[in-house]
Amino acid sequence: MSLVEDVRQIAKKYPDSRSATLPALRLAQERDGWLSPETLREVADALELTPAYCKSVATFYDMYHLAPVGTHLVEVCTNLSCALAGAQKVVDAFESELGVKPGETTPDGEITFRTVECLGGCGYATVVAVDHRYKQKVGPDDVAGIVGEIRGAQ
Amino acid sequence: MVTLTIDDREVTVPKGTGLVEAALAAGIEIPVFCYEPRLGPPVGACRMCLCEVAPGPPKPQAACTLTAADGMSVRTALTSEMARDAQNGTLEFILVNHPLDCPVCDKGGECPLQDLTFRYGPGNTRMTFPKRTFEKPIPISPLIALDRERCILCYRCTRFSSDVSEDNQLVAINRGSQSVIATFEDDPYRAAFSGNVIELCPVGALTSTQYRFEARPWEIQNSPTVCGLCPVGCNVSATTREGKVKRILSRNHPEVDQGWLCDKGRFAYGHLNARDRIAEPLTKTGPRRFEQLTWEDALDRVEAVLRDADAATVTALSGGETVEQAYALGRLLREGLGAHTAVLPEEVPDRLDAKRAPLSALREAKTIAVVTDEPVVERAPVVDLWLKAARRDGAKITYDTPKGRVDALVTDDPACADSCDATNVYYLPRTPNGRGVADAWSAASDGEARDVKPRVLIVSGDEAATDPNVRAIAADAETVIGIGMFEENFRGLADIVLPGTSYLERDGTTVNLEGRLQRQRRAVMAPCPDELAWVAKLAERFGVEVSAHASLVFGELSERLFGGISFGEVGEQASLPARAAAEAPKEQVPGTTVPGTGLRLVAYRPLFSGAAVERTPELQFQKPDAEVHLAPADAKERGIANGQTVTVSSNGTSLELRARIAKDLASGVVRIAQDHAGDLHEFVEVKSNA
Amino acid sequence: MGLSNVLLKGADERDLTKLAEYQAIGGYQGVPKARAMSSDALIEVLQTAVLRGRGGAGFPMGRKASLIDRSSPKPKYLVVNADESEPGAFKDREVMARVPHRLIEGCLIAAHAIECTHVFIFIRGEYLAEYEILQAAVDEARGAGLFGDVEITVHRGAGAYICGEETALLDALEGRRGQPRPRPPFPPVQGLYNAPTQINNVSTIATVPTIIEMGAEAFAKTGVESAPGTAIFSISGNIARPGNYELELGTPMRELIYDIAGGVPDGRELKAVIPGGSSVPALAPSEIDVPLDYDSLQKIGTFFGAASLIIVDDRCCIVQLALRSAKFYMHESCGKCTPCREGTRWMVQLLEKIEAGEAELSELDLLDNIGSRILGRSLCALGDFAVYPTHSYLSKWRDEFVAHIEQGGCPYGGASSLEGIEAPLDAHTHSPLPVIA
Ligand SMILES: Cc1cc2nc3c(=O)[nH]c(=O)nc-3n(C[C@H](O)[C@H](O)[C@H](O)COP(=O)(O)O)c2cc1C
Ligand code: SF4
Ligand code: FES
Repeated sequence: MSLVEDVRQIAKKYPDSRSATLPALRLAQERDGWLSPETLREVADALELTPAYCKSVATFYDMYHLAPVGTHLVEVCTNLSCALAGAQKVVDAFESELGVKPGETTPDGEITFRTVECLGGCGYATVVAVDHRYKQKVGPDDVAGIVGEIRGAQ
Repeated sequence: MVTLTIDDREVTVPKGTGLVEAALAAGIEIPVFCYEPRLGPPVGACRMCLCEVAPGPPKPQAACTLTAADGMSVRTALTSEMARDAQNGTLEFILVNHPLDCPVCDKGGECPLQDLTFRYGPGNTRMTFPKRTFEKPIPISPLIALDRERCILCYRCTRFSSDVSEDNQLVAINRGSQSVIATFEDDPYRAAFSGNVIELCPVGALTSTQYRFEARPWEIQNSPTVCGLCPVGCNVSATTREGKVKRILSRNHPEVDQGWLCDKGRFAYGHLNARDRIAEPLTKTGPRRFEQLTWEDALDRVEAVLRDADAATVTALSGGETVEQAYALGRLLREGLGAHTAVLPEEVPDRLDAKRAPLSALREAKTIAVVTDEPVVERAPVVDLWLKAARRDGAKITYDTPKGRVDALVTDDPACADSCDATNVYYLPRTPNGRGVADAWSAASDGEARDVKPRVLIVSGDEAATDPNVRAIAADAETVIGIGMFEENFRGLADIVLPGTSYLERDGTTVNLEGRLQRQRRAVMAPCPDELAWVAKLAERFGVEVSAHASLVFGELSERLFGGISFGEVGEQASLPARAAAEAPKEQVPGTTVPGTGLRLVAYRPLFSGAAVERTPELQFQKPDAEVHLAPADAKERGIANGQTVTVSSNGTSLELRARIAKDLASGVVRIAQDHAGDLHEFVEVKSNA
Repeated sequence: MGLSNVLLKGADERDLTKLAEYQAIGGYQGVPKARAMSSDALIEVLQTAVLRGRGGAGFPMGRKASLIDRSSPKPKYLVVNADESEPGAFKDREVMARVPHRLIEGCLIAAHAIECTHVFIFIRGEYLAEYEILQAAVDEARGAGLFGDVEITVHRGAGAYICGEETALLDALEGRRGQPRPRPPFPPVQGLYNAPTQINNVSTIATVPTIIEMGAEAFAKTGVESAPGTAIFSISGNIARPGNYELELGTPMRELIYDIAGGVPDGRELKAVIPGGSSVPALAPSEIDVPLDYDSLQKIGTFFGAASLIIVDDRCCIVQLALRSAKFYMHESCGKCTPCREGTRWMVQLLEKIEAGEAELSELDLLDNIGSRILGRSLCALGDFAVYPTHSYLSKWRDEFVAHIEQGGCPYGGASSLEGIEAPLDAHTHSPLPVIA
């Protein structure tokens, strides 16, 4: 099904089709990897809203990408509980394992790595989300394995 | 009514009054930035209006979000330390990242932020860190520049874009302290009413590219007048400096325009100084060439031509003239020569005056029938904002094709468009003053028009000069005398041209689409004498007496047309005359449409077209795209999606255009802007190219 | 009367994500019981139970329901707040992951109380696994015909802490930027799509079935009088056995920290407890002899919040703690109102300067004063949340702030547990801006 049809279906679940904006943006991002201007125009058409409106919504939320990202997303929580449990060591481990800083993507375009705010796994620090699947109680020593897993999965 | 105290002053206001207004009624200021009732419900964003309110939680309350209640006690910075510190704090936070570049800011001297900082702000800054900086200013359109460093994020502009004009093109992007105002990528803010955000912005963040560095508040005058570019007649004030118009601002007439202006009315004033502006009388010296004449020669020549043709003279009027101009011309030509025949720009019968109502009454309507094939916004822009407001208030809006020749809005009785028992009826005429001009012309004499072969044609105004019908008549006239502003429009048409004035350069009255009589005031001197001056001179030569002063001319006709009110009484904010006595329903004037097969094509006149727009470079980007508007049903039937390329064809010719599905269009009709309609015939077929 | 197991009851023994298993322990029997009552009677029951909101404010759920304008011609909506984004909080996540049907049953009962036929569950976008479990449970229950004329829509957020604020949540649910609305009008009068709306936290709603099951009077006798029932307490940070513990309200904080969660590990000293998630005033070790309930915590100047304790040991530099937490609130400020948008950024700038040892003493008072100028003046409580902890650090650990200034740097000399901790950047998520410097 085309994005337009999918979006129309989702819109039916709500009293007001505008409510489909967040789901529509997510769908489009899952399809294209990130929300390029062209993608935003397409979403706007599907929702009968303007591209500017869609952009204003998309740029408000952290999970939408307004710039290209890698095939896989590695997110390390560095909020208080994880931080107290040594999240920065995990961040450093990823940095050396991947050879990129937080916010950057590996040269092969495979993995984008970034730090994020609390993921709601504070009791199981450090929490690392790989493509939004949580890995908990992650220590520096687990990092190599995680990266291997991601690369292996390709 | 409810009674409350503000800074211990007791005040009684109607139930539901906001605290900001209640305070005003008590003569007390509650400072605001984001609060602007015309933009819809308050948003409580800027926190400038924080006051101490009891009963209520023991912390400052955003007064703009509260309504007056009995026994309420409100304390502003005047009597409450809590409020004073809160307001002072808000300003400190606003200024933390504000560049304070007032000396080079166009808003300087008329800036709410400057004023409120002076009254409520901190004297010094405690901010020691580098301020947020952005690339500046960035043009968000050829008309508007955005300075993000000055922006205080009150969201007035974006709320106008989404909640008033409903174009949703100017938005906030990003979050928190990273938030900025933006359009989509590099798209210009392209919407009929974009300029209003300049006036709404309480700081110098959104400024007019035309006004940029043009003047300082203490060097300017503002003349209250009325826009002369469409039948709405929005109230405006013209800012002038050293005899030149520098900008047009809205002048809120709550019944007519609510303080909104379209971009044509706001930005097209540049046409006054167009390169081909006519300042001296001209005479034709070649197919497309003119030569200047002295006024003596010009008037002698015109006199001679008229004497020779005498009654065989026909006058084509534009509908942009003032009532006084049309009347004076009528006296000269009809009384002086018995030349009673006039070509009027459009028919505007007066039989709907029994249903007359202010535009603001649209907001009370439950149903509104829009009886026209043309987009309302292109013909009477601000009326479109009233319609949108009515829809937001829950009114049901239908779109019908006119049965008769009159385009109109009909409230609470879509049953009929012409004379009927609807609650209110509004005309949608094409010309700014067609109604006033027609009435003035007929009031000028009681003589009857006789059928004569026109030998001399008088073309009054640039609109008439560019009207194909008028040009057709001109083709078989011996002599054509033009009156107008721009040489280009009269080349190859007129033998003699006398200079005309703009609505910003003259005194007089006009009648808008409600039937409201309004005053135009001279904001700047024209480069040529006023029409009335030389018409009076000419009239004298034909033994007719006409005054050269608008006020006196008006006095002469007021009795017959306007119930005898005086020029002065029209006032700066004209009121709507009482409804005329209801007449028996008239015979419907049969429509001009001949039946045919396929979709009926309406080639409409776009808002952004005409002599004034053509001469304003900054407005060119606003011209309509090559689009064909289809009613949803017609599009569905043909499997055409919004934005698709389609072929529009009528026997022989065909055009490729982008399809736009227009919900404000009755089935069976398609619309194309005149500029893009090519030579398509009245009935067309539309096929998808997909 | 003891009661430790309400929300998670049966979850250790069975896989309660399965409808059959949940029904096997009496699940969904509360729905017909509730539907047999009139809405007024049901609201009466909820009022008697004094079920206080578990999302933060602690407003009695039954009273909220009684405020719903049921005379309005518009539809009524129930919105479940599953945005759980408060640093330190992960209780709602466990409810959705392990007892989704208890939440759904609670939705159906609460919906009947306010005559609502469309329920929305707004779950934070990051909770992917939980969303899948919850959505599956919703589909299974609907398939089993348990919904009647009620529909439940699970709506995913997209990464914004502010969407936990109830009116911001409504805007996000309406497809807008999730920014708070001014109140009045309050949601029970004008909420989702401008219709009367009841908004409750996941744990609040998931407690409702138990109230129907055991009866309001019996429930009201549990916990403490001002706040009956249990809460799932999330405990994390420098603690031996971090995790979720469902306990009766009023349980002593010391008992949770030392007896239940095993105290501070590695022989370190307790330095601070942030009792309600990172947005509440922190407690010094001398202050932890307090029952875990709304009123008791408020009495000692902090809040119950999200029932989420963050335990901080003596390796942590308090300025770094304040800075990291301040960065979170700056990052999450929605940008709508001035004090929060500009103030949170300014606070971060000052804290960075202090941590770097470049500040002057007067700037501690400036920091304190900026906080006071945000407190109670922002459009929603996020502004307050940025200030509460900061103010508590400043007042209770002022000597550490002073030490940074006097020693011209961090007294921990790089040994602090938060040394060098990185906060998220806006890369990817924000539109790249032509920002100079
Ligand atoms: C900034 C901010 C964040 C909030 N986050 C949450 C949240 O994640 N979950 C929640 O249930 N309530 C949150 N709240 C409280 C909600 O606004 C609201 O009070 C609560 O959901 C009501 O449900 P309850 O009465 O059952 O507690 C937050 C409030 C604020 C000001
Ligand atoms: S540009 Fe002006 S109107 Fe728009 S948000 Fe900024 S300050 Fe307000
Ligand atoms: S004027 Fe009240 S918050 Fe802006």
